[in-house]
Amino acid sequence: MRLQNWIPVLLLAAIVTAEVDFEVNPVDNETESVQQDVIDESWNAEPGESSRITQSSKFLSLEHPIEYNFREHLDLTPLPNNFLLASFQFYMQSEPFGIDRDQHESSEYSHHTVFPKPVGPIMSQTNTRQLHLRFTHGLWDSQEWGQLPHNGLKSGGTGVELWAIVEAPSKEEALKSWITLANSLSGLFCASINFIDTSKTTFPVSSFLPKEDEAIPLLNQSNHLYLMRATLANEPVCTENLTPFVKLLPTRGKSGISSLLDGHKIFDSNWHSLSIDVNTVCDESTANCHFVMEEFIETVVNVPNALARADRPIPKPLPGDELRCDTNRPHDAFQCFPLPQSKEVSFSISKLFGKKIRGGSLLGEQSSKICVHVPSHWDVMIQVDESYFATDDNCFDLNNNKPHDVRLETTDSKSVLPSKKTPIYVSRALTGYGQDRGGLRSVFRNPSNEAVELVYFESLPWFMGVYLSSLAIESDDPELTLDSVVKSTFYSPARDRERPTHLERAMIIPPNTAFAISFQFDKSLLKYAEYPPDANHGFEIEAAVAAVLTPERYEARTSSLLLSLSTPDFSMPYNVIILTSTVMGLAFGTLFNLISKQLITLEEADKILASTGPRAKLLRVKAKIVNMLQGNKNKIIKSAKYE
Amino acid sequence: MVSSEWQVVWACFASRLAVSYLFPSLQQQLDRTVEFSTPVTSYRSLQEGAYLLLHNLPIYDGGVVHHVPLLVALMAFVQQAEFLMPVLFAAMDTLIAYQLMQIAKIYQRQLQIPSYIPGVVYAVNPLVLLSCVSQSTCLFVNLSISTSLLFALSRQFSLSAICIALAGYLSPYAYLLLIPLAGICGSNSFGLVVKCTLVSIVLQLISFKLNNDNWNYLTSTYWILITFSKIRPNLGLWWYFFIEMFEFFIPFFKSVFNIFVVSFIPPFTIRFNQQSFYAFVLCLGWITLTKSYPTLGDGGFFLSFIPFFKPIFGYLRYPVISTLLFIHAIILSPIFYYLWIGLGSGNSNFFYAISLVYALAISSVIVDLTWAMLRIEYDSGKPNLSLKLTQI
Repeated sequence: MRLQNWIPVLLLAAIVTAEVDFEVNPVDNETESVQQDVIDESWNAEPGESSRITQSSKFLSLEHPIEYNFREHLDLTPLPNNFLLASFQFYMQSEPFGIDRDQHESSEYSHHTVFPKPVGPIMSQTNTRQLHLRFTHGLWDSQEWGQLPHNGLKSGGTGVELWAIVEAPSKEEALKSWITLANSLSGLFCASINFIDTSKTTFPVSSFLPKEDEAIPLLNQSNHLYLMRATLANEPVCTENLTPFVKLLPTRGKSGISSLLDGHKIFDSNWHSLSIDVNTVCDESTANCHFVMEEFIETVVNVPNALARADRPIPKPLPGDELRCDTNRPHDAFQCFPLPQSKEVSFSISKLFGKKIRGGSLLGEQSSKICVHVPSHWDVMIQVDESYFATDDNCFDLNNNKPHDVRLETTDSKSVLPSKKTPIYVSRALTGYGQDRGGLRSVFRNPSNEAVELVYFESLPWFMGVYLSSLAIESDDPELTLDSVVKSTFYSPARDRERPTHLERAMIIPPNTAFAISFQFDKSLLKYAEYPPDANHGFEIEAAVAAVLTPERYEARTSSLLLSLSTPDFSMPYNVIILTSTVMGLAFGTLFNLISKQLITLEEADKILASTGPRAKLLRVKAKIVNMLQGNKNKIIKSAKYE
Repeated sequence: MVSSEWQVVWACFASRLAVSYLFPSLQQQLDRTVEFSTPVTSYRSLQEGAYLLLHNLPIYDGGVVHHVPLLVALMAFVQQAEFLMPVLFAAMDTLIAYQLMQIAKIYQRQLQIPSYIPGVVYAVNPLVLLSCVSQSTCLFVNLSISTSLLFALSRQFSLSAICIALAGYLSPYAYLLLIPLAGICGSNSFGLVVKCTLVSIVLQLISFKLNNDNWNYLTSTYWILITFSKIRPNLGLWWYFFIEMFEFFIPFFKSVFNIFVVSFIPPFTIRFNQQSFYAFVLCLGWITLTKSYPTLGDGGFFLSFIPFFKPIFGYLRYPVISTLLFIHAIILSPIFYYLWIGLGSGNSNFFYAISLVYALAISSVIVDLTWAMLRIEYDSGKPNLSLKLTQI
């Protein structure tokens, strides 16, 4: 087993010990921590824990409760066709720490308050200055729903996407830190992020760069910053990934809007995305730094489906009187044509998410906030203690720890707030048939009236041998050439088993234009142990990223692709070794005999064989035995004669 | 040159040009078949190299281009007039046919056949014709080898050394042919080896300069032949063996396969030092059988030397079997490959079986020719077919 495989285990062990240290060290003197604990616990308060409750009431009754750098926000946006986008946003910040400290002292971690404990050590151990992690699954219908939330900057391609800025003296060191980072995140998020190795890692040059206003600190001025990125397109995003996300929050899903997060509901959706961004922000004047973390959990649910699921967890046919029949068309008691979906909608989010909001988080400077983005004919109310309240801007602050619920009602669910049009539509498809080669065709469509400037980032696995010379553009407009569209290209070709193909193109898409760019590739065969167990399922090719620079910053991703490779016969190793060796041995043996042996006529051979061949030898042995026997006989005869 | 030879030359040139221009898509189709194109000889990857060179992108940093820098530079230069490529390849192929006829002239007395026969055989050999149309770069190697052989036989050893160095530069397996070539040169062999080494060094230095003072082309052009890191199906013995081999044993078997290539080159040269030209041909056949990325173009080139064995045809023990094996392999290989890759109704074993048949075909030809050579040696040049011989 390689050392690499041990790293996650070791790191996990390190993290666990770190946590244990914290639990063991009594922190009673620090009111902050206690208060946080107590607020967490207060929801779970059992009757027997009366002492705890009195304690909590004592702390909660402080006139000026201590406030942390923690902010949470829930955005609810109905989308066309009865979909609802729920966006849970959490912002947190660590306490400042000095930048010249020895980073490996575990006592240094005591500054964590609302900032999750495991993240800090991972960041400092791997010298990571920025960390971005995305878990995304499902289809975002940009035609209907418009732009992705947060301009697409908070959602990745299908599967897991990770990029980070690492401080290191050299590229090799940076890669080492990167692999360590991937391995520790793998343990933290219960995902196979440890499968990230150099053959999946790219060093983006013009995409995924930090924003202009973000200054990334260098703790050691002789080091450099390295931006690395990798994706695992075949990673399923599942409930076990949500639990670690919720665990990172100071509220642990026990209070505030995070109490709505239930894996069964979040992942029972058409599209969902979990994202984490950690930044190191330094103040040069005080030589102090702190971590800033943004954690977003977003999901698009189909409201009628989700409500039906809540009513009937076990899918059963509707009783006849609940069927919505189109009575204008032929119908009887057993079958009818259904009516289109009702435009009248009223639901509460407790029904969608299975539980109510357990009050605000009461941790931060600002109270937890819920905003619903709807046009005026929607009624939005918040329910506290059986009473309903409404506000002008449909935003609600959660200031106490009572259960809350939000209710949405409308007579016309079809009309929602107009969605912002995406600046660009990008899609990508595999072309060709056969399992030894293929093509990749990306279609760009700019529906707007202004030119779109973007960087198109593609990373392809090494077993796709890309022929850049076959690059071609297809368009209705004969004026459009590759050179007029592609401004510059960065190309780092794949190296077998070492690194992926990395293509970045700065492009300008003229207004109201659509065109396709395609190129050809060869598929390589793998060694039989390199195929996954389900080799004939194919290999997921990660999504391409179109990062729009003008007219506005926006990121769109294509869907991931499924590439099928030709496979050898997995049952053949011994047969192949035997058969090939036989043919080689046949050629070698025959030639060796021919060249090394003497040529003679058959008669000579017979003669020689008669004197030296096995038959002759046998005869000689026989003669000897006969002689011996005869000798004995003679002796016996002789002795008999003497007698 | 006699008129019949001229006719063969023109017919050869015209046939290649005609096929190229009458079926313009044939080049790409053949270039995609595993029989005529391998990662190290395919025209596509040469084009890719030229494209990368013209766009100032790294050529040898990746895993697609496995052609030497001089060839890539030449391609980048010629690519401006791509319609002339078929002419270039047809001309090179015709030159090989012409050289074969010149070699036949040298051996005119012993051969007992008109000197144009090898040219005709080469011109009508479908393997060579299709390989030429596919614009496989193994044609460059074949041309260098045949030129070197012709110069050696006509006792112009310096030119021969230059050509074999060029062939070795394009495909290092050709350096192995230096051994039988030294046998042809006899007492001049030391000079041949020295000149060949010098020219090779010069070629490598030029490549180094062409490749922006970088040696990285060595890995992707030469090292790949030894390590077989680009696994693609082909007609050789290597590919399926190294797909299926257990990771642990791969380094051992790679060394075995590489030693296997070299194993019979010195023995052939030593055993047939009186008939060094024929030793050269047998070595060529052995390399075709054992190299890591063989194509039908290599096989066709080797088979083009068969007419020179005319005097010993009578001694061949199983020419029918060899012929049938060849026909079997050549007809079934595209079909079985398509069944595996295109239709999915067959699996890799189908094509693997065919690659074994092809290996058997070549080895049976080599074995048979070796036997016939030994036989005529026994008869001291005067065939006595009725004599029954055996070996002990």
